[in-house]
Amino acid sequence: MFRKLYLLYGALVLSTAAFGQYRGWSLDTVNQVKNVPKSVRDNPGSYRSVYGFYHHYTGGK
Amino acid sequence: MSTGAPPLSGPPKPQARALNCPKCGAAITLRSFGQAVTVVCSSCRCILDAKDPNLAILQQFEIKTSDVKPLIPLGTRGKLRGTDYEVTGFQRRSVMVDGITYYWHEYVLFNPYKGIRYLSEYNGHWNDISICKTLPSADGGGATYLGEAYKHFQSADANTDFVLGEFPWQVRVGEKAGVTDYVHPPRVLSSEKLEKEVTWSIGEYMYGREIWDSFKLPGDPPEAMGVYENQPSPVATNVTGMWVAFAAFAVFLLLLMGVFDMRAKKEPVLQQTYRFDRAEVKGEPSFVSDEFALTGRTSTVEVKTFAPVSNHWIYLNYALINQDTGQAWDFGREVSYYYGHDSDGSWTEGKQNDTVVIPSVPAGHYYLRIEPEADPSLPSIPYTVEIIRDVPVFGIYGIAFLALLVPVVIICFRAYTFERSRWSESDHPPVQLSSGSGDDE
Repeated sequence: MFRKLYLLYGALVLSTAAFGQYRGWSLDTVNQVKNVPKSVRDNPGSYRSVYGFYHHYTGGK
Repeated sequence: MSTGAPPLSGPPKPQARALNCPKCGAAITLRSFGQAVTVVCSSCRCILDAKDPNLAILQQFEIKTSDVKPLIPLGTRGKLRGTDYEVTGFQRRSVMVDGITYYWHEYVLFNPYKGIRYLSEYNGHWNDISICKTLPSADGGGATYLGEAYKHFQSADANTDFVLGEFPWQVRVGEKAGVTDYVHPPRVLSSEKLEKEVTWSIGEYMYGREIWDSFKLPGDPPEAMGVYENQPSPVATNVTGMWVAFAAFAVFLLLLMGVFDMRAKKEPVLQQTYRFDRAEVKGEPSFVSDEFALTGRTSTVEVKTFAPVSNHWIYLNYALINQDTGQAWDFGREVSYYYGHDSDGSWTEGKQNDTVVIPSVPAGHYYLRIEPEADPSLPSIPYTVEIIRDVPVFGIYGIAFLALLVPVVIICFRAYTFERSRWSESDHPPVQLSSGSGDDE
């Protein structure tokens, strides 16, 4: 029974991987924004990125 | 006058025979007729010769075990695996291993047409037992019966402690028999040696609930404790088969990866080098790239950044904006690279390039808004941005691989621990790890 279930499960995993690859899934995180005004093209400063307040790592050991 | 009932056909229906104990006079009912060799008087605990018309007394035993009560009362009828049986006998037996006495119970079942079979119970584990029809072949390590191989599990001397009802053999309390069990779950093959006579029986594991349902017993069966010698594993599956299935899936996954990698367009749509110059950035640092077209089906977009930073960082707020729909993908990426020397030697941290894959971007006309920031100590630095359409994401295959692997590992581990518990009770226990008693001297 476990083997049959596993075969079904494995087929589902492979199908999901194939579908994800076909649809262009990614593991990276990006923020989706809708209805960005066309004016941003001419006035880039009018767009406010959600990552604008990122606290930068100053690096080094 | 006729009753109208049809005349009886076939063998006459057996009737229980009522007798009296020659010792105490208590009524004794013989249920298994000619099959009974001995019968026990439940009042005075005399074992009587059932073949003797006068029920000669063969043995009388002390009632030291008055608390021994059959879980299935004698005389109970039930349908076991499609055949009606009546419980006609009960005995408690024991073995002593390493100074510990283990008890189990055996029930004699009788059907006038099918004969005798047995049920055994140990700590809530039940077995449906019948006498072997052919002689098994056995050696020290195992036995073969009807083409099936059985592994030796345990050999011990079993003692009969208590008897009640009828038995198809000359039963005696205190009788000892050499018992050897061979297992092939859910079956157990047992040989029982009494003087020069060896009896082989084959048993099949049953759950208490099946017994209770078969005999319509009230309440719940006693809970099964531990793992029994022929108890089927809850992960009763072919572990090797699971690994074979996993290997097949892994191969499919590799094929999938190859096919998608070959079919991916990996189309460069933008490559541009910019410069962050603090002196020139007086007001708004953000700007937009040239417009570019993303074609084909909804797919990934990879954004690569390269900056020759050296003990500095540069941070880029990106927004990939669809000019037609106003949909944007907003993300920030840092490129930083540090190195140096300390008491541990040389070290590095970070790298001069960065890659991000934006998921599920539909076709359309796009531009990239870039808002750079940099280490305040960095007056000026160039950086290159490259955009590639439709790249494969290998991390998905990694996750799929783990998703395929984890259930197999869990099932194998459960099967392993179950078998380990089973065999720890045998004559062939698995190698025990040192308990580490900590007797440091």
